[in-house]
Amino acid sequence: MKTQLKSSLNAGITFGIVSLFLYLIGFTTTASQIIQNLLKLKPASTVLGMDSLTFSFALFIGLIGLWAGVNQARSQKGQPFGTVLLSAVLTGLVHGLIVALAAYITGSLNASGVKMNTYLSQLLPASVKLFLFNQTPVLGALSQLAFLTLTALVGAAVTYGLMVSNVFGKLADAWRSMWKQVNAVPAIAKFRASPYFSYVMYSLLLLVMVFVPLRAGQYWNYTLGTVGIYVLLGLGLNIVVGLAGLLNLGYVAFFAIGAYTVALLTSPAPHGLVWNFWLVLPLGILAATLVGVLLVVPVLRMRGDYLAIVTLGFGEIIRILSKSDALTWLTGGPKGVNNVGGPVLFGWVFDDVSYLYLIFLSVLLAIFVTRRLQNSRVGRAWESMREDETVSRAMGINILKHKVLAFAIGAAFAGLGGVLFAARNQFTGPEDHNMMVSINVLSAVIVGGMGSIPGVIAGAFVLKGLPEILRELENYRVLAFATLLVVMMLVRPAGILPASRRKFEHENAPGNEGSKQ
Amino acid sequence: MIVALETRGVVKQFGGLVAVNNVDLVVPENSIFSVIGPNGAGKTTFYNCITGFYTPEKGDVLFYGESLLGLSPDQITYHGIARTYQNIRLFSTMSAIENIMVGEHSRLNASWAEAIIRTPRMVKEEKAAVEEARRLLNFVGLAGLGDQAARNLPYGAQRRLEIARALASKPKLLLLDEPTAGMNPNETAEMVAFVHRLRDELGISILLIEHDMRMVMGVSDRIAVLDYGEKIAEGSPTEIQNNPRVIEAYLGKPMSEYEA
Amino acid sequence: MATESKVNKKKVSTYQIVQIILGVVFGGYVVWRLYQILIANPVYGPDTWLRFAIAGIILGSVYALVAIGYTLVYGILHMINFAHGDIMMIGAFGGYFVFEALKNIQTPTLADPKLNFLNAHPVISVILAFVVGVSVAALSGYFLERIAYRPLRNAPRLVPLISAIGASIFLENAAMLMFGAQRRDFTNPLVLTRGEGWEIPVGGGTVILTYTGVLTFVLSIVILVLLYLLVQRTRMGRAMRAVAENKNVAALMGINVDGIISQTFILSGGLAGAAGVMWGIHLGLVYYFLGFIPGIKAFTSAVLGGIGNLPGAMLGGLFLGAVESLGPAVLGIDFQLKDVLAFGILVLVLIFRPTGILGEVLSEEKV
Ligand SMILES: Nc1ncnc2c1ncn2[C@@H]1O[C@H](COP(=O)(O)OP(=O)(O)OP(=O)(O)O)[C@@H](O)[C@H]1O
Ligand SMILES: [Mg+2]
Repeated sequence: MKTQLKSSLNAGITFGIVSLFLYLIGFTTTASQIIQNLLKLKPASTVLGMDSLTFSFALFIGLIGLWAGVNQARSQKGQPFGTVLLSAVLTGLVHGLIVALAAYITGSLNASGVKMNTYLSQLLPASVKLFLFNQTPVLGALSQLAFLTLTALVGAAVTYGLMVSNVFGKLADAWRSMWKQVNAVPAIAKFRASPYFSYVMYSLLLLVMVFVPLRAGQYWNYTLGTVGIYVLLGLGLNIVVGLAGLLNLGYVAFFAIGAYTVALLTSPAPHGLVWNFWLVLPLGILAATLVGVLLVVPVLRMRGDYLAIVTLGFGEIIRILSKSDALTWLTGGPKGVNNVGGPVLFGWVFDDVSYLYLIFLSVLLAIFVTRRLQNSRVGRAWESMREDETVSRAMGINILKHKVLAFAIGAAFAGLGGVLFAARNQFTGPEDHNMMVSINVLSAVIVGGMGSIPGVIAGAFVLKGLPEILRELENYRVLAFATLLVVMMLVRPAGILPASRRKFEHENAPGNEGSKQ
Repeated sequence: MIVALETRGVVKQFGGLVAVNNVDLVVPENSIFSVIGPNGAGKTTFYNCITGFYTPEKGDVLFYGESLLGLSPDQITYHGIARTYQNIRLFSTMSAIENIMVGEHSRLNASWAEAIIRTPRMVKEEKAAVEEARRLLNFVGLAGLGDQAARNLPYGAQRRLEIARALASKPKLLLLDEPTAGMNPNETAEMVAFVHRLRDELGISILLIEHDMRMVMGVSDRIAVLDYGEKIAEGSPTEIQNNPRVIEAYLGKPMSEYEA
Repeated sequence: MATESKVNKKKVSTYQIVQIILGVVFGGYVVWRLYQILIANPVYGPDTWLRFAIAGIILGSVYALVAIGYTLVYGILHMINFAHGDIMMIGAFGGYFVFEALKNIQTPTLADPKLNFLNAHPVISVILAFVVGVSVAALSGYFLERIAYRPLRNAPRLVPLISAIGASIFLENAAMLMFGAQRRDFTNPLVLTRGEGWEIPVGGGTVILTYTGVLTFVLSIVILVLLYLLVQRTRMGRAMRAVAENKNVAALMGINVDGIISQTFILSGGLAGAAGVMWGIHLGLVYYFLGFIPGIKAFTSAVLGGIGNLPGAMLGGLFLGAVESLGPAVLGIDFQLKDVLAFGILVLVLIFRPTGILGEVLSEEKV
């Protein structure tokens, strides 16, 4: 009983803090507007006696209340109905009290004309009023309390019903048994395990890559291009971090070198060297690779975590240098470089579609190279280094050489990415190369699944593509991204699509039939 | 007699502590040579001096007459020395076969560029490498477990996989560091037979660190005893069993009590 | 048995040759520059040099406070607490809001009818700001560990790092959304007006020893000394060191490892909070991104000093502060590039001493 009481209180406080936080960052208002739009409610219309925005807000806060109830019922699984309801009510009450208190205080301050938004920028009078269901502070607070308690109760009751009847369990069982049956068909099982399966998946991807750009329109082509470049960067970093296990927090430096190489050599200003893009492309890759090698040689003997800070510092150095006044003559300074030249092929000036094809082609090339390297002596050496450097040396592996190689190939991919990015945007500047790029790419690799190519692709989509889709949440994108990072690490640290190991034993199976389960 | 490994007056210090003190050792080719001694006697440190993880302050390590001093561990592997570890150190997320294939690294040649282009030579080499890995897996009795992640294998299998990984470099000398640690008498007996097979079938020399006296006495051609970094005795198993200094080093207990 | 065997001379590796060349080049350049600017062609008088040095030491003492937090956490969990700089930002906001609140409390007197609490009781105000700033930061540190790190205690090394990066971005953006993106003036009590202080005549000019600077420096040193005593002398400190040495053994000895880790985060959060309030009082601006750069600098300091080593972090902080403010002048580099210099020095130091200035040479992992 005491533990249940404690769990209810804890849940209530947690939900209270979350709701309060959403209020303080103004999300309650934004979410209400989104719901209003989704339901296609006209601002002037009234629903259930409320104006449509208040109604949307009630829906939103009600959902959180329901969630609290559902959560409580699930944590009390196996308890009698009465206990579940009681604990849900308690949670709802605590949740409601916290919210009501906040609503009352901010409401009264607002009513007495205090401008709260000088300090808490989201507490605009309209938001505060909305949080009170457009009532007086006392009435609004009481409504919050009652509403949150009620929704928690409803949520718990419904969940209890679902749990007792085990609807979801049955559905999941049905789903699982269906999969089992599908997989039991020998042909399907064999196909899924064979290398052809991934060939088919990649061909599907290829088809999508060919046809989507023609249909998507300029905005989406741009977005997809950015995602593609992130996939490219992710694949490169995946070799460094995912395979070789070297923590590189300054990956953006190589991206910047690629970008600046193409910018400075093809733009009319500041140097007036208008070289051909196809000539500069390999130069950019080469420059990035060279710098990667030069950087890594002195730092490779340091302990692993020191490598992180040194590479991070290096990324910053490149950015600061590129925007410094002292080097403006060379780099174009803080304003960056405009009119970066792009590719021309047989008189065809690249438009958004052809750029996207070029990016996709580069991604395919990178996937190809990564796959080949991964399944080779070099790839195995990298992975063994990641697992245990000392033993790896005892296996005859030259650690230094393989670290440099990983860094160089990673840098080459980033250089290519930089070249494409600058050429497509026809611009590059210091702020294209800030630390967030490194961090985004690293996150893409890890959220997707370290060492896994499909994982990197998925990660890049989640981190760069999803925010574009969630445009409406503009202000909250980065916050959502950050939350996602933490939550992913807590619930699925191996990533969305974790790396799977290559199978050797059933490649030509005779003699191995009985042994593998 | 061909000498596989010879150490001359090897000294290794950690600050004030002399972990290995002036150790001379001659391991004839195709023999099983054991190094025993109480905990902390410096046996593992001695191994690290041979394999290049530590550079001895004094002395020399000769392998078939050639000095290994100043070579890095990976270069020493190329000379034909392989080792296992006291506390199993497999590449735990890699599969058993991949572990062995990492062990084959020093015998393979494909560079990164060849790997990308997949030259016929590289393809052939890879195929042979997989074959060889499977063969070794069979040799150590792990047939069929090749796709298991190393960390999912049972303890005894992990020990044998570690030996298979060491064998993959086709060494002339194999250094085993307590291969029977944590094994029951049955498994230990199997290990004795296995070590004999290693020498007889593969023709390699074996240097063995072991605490289990039954194993040591049963398997060794010759034994050296370290205590506080110094070699206090050397001889055949019977000589060692009756050596008073050895008995003293082992806390005065008769050697036969040192079996468990 | 054996006759005296030959002593092995250490072979000089190419790496050491690179070290020597780099050392000679850099050292030579510094000496030449020093000769140039001090003797041959003095650009700055002694007053300017002193001004640089003072600014550097004050900045360095703040870095040191933050660096300690990195080092404490690294020592115990072997993870880079990426969000540590943002905890400092939270502390700075705590102090800011205290001053703002006190500014609005009117305590009129006959002499000054417009007097407010902040100026009427500056000492109490400053103490309150520190108490609140330190408390909110310590609390944030505690919850940060509970929510984002503790469940990942046994995960592979990169997982908690990514979680920490996520937490850092979260805190920055939450602060931005709540408090707005603009930079806010940190209003001090009048007696602590920025830029005012004791004037010391030096050489041809005067050097101002600002009140805020002295407050920052003295307070930092006091905190650092207290902290050192805490870690070296108290039960809690001993337990912390035991956990840092070996968590399993510490647990067997009856130490509550989770508790100690929580305390470490509270402690390092509190230190960052104090640094944040100082930052606000001395430099005068608070905003959501405030912790980022000092955080990275402080981490650099911790690495410079040898991560995991308390005196190292202090020394590293002061050293980095000095490098930042004196370095550009000594080396003849644009002041804009002081961050480049800071990281450059880091790389250089690590090339010569891969474990940092005071970092113990970690016993090679037992093979
Ligand atoms: N890297 C190191 N730094 C400092 N001291 C070390 C190091 N490695 C080993 N020692 C010390 O050297 C001595 C010899 O250690 P070593 O591991 O070689 O003993 P061992 O004979 O292998 O013992 P065991 O039977 O327990 O494996 C011990 O006192 C040990 O504490
Ligand atoms: Mg040992």
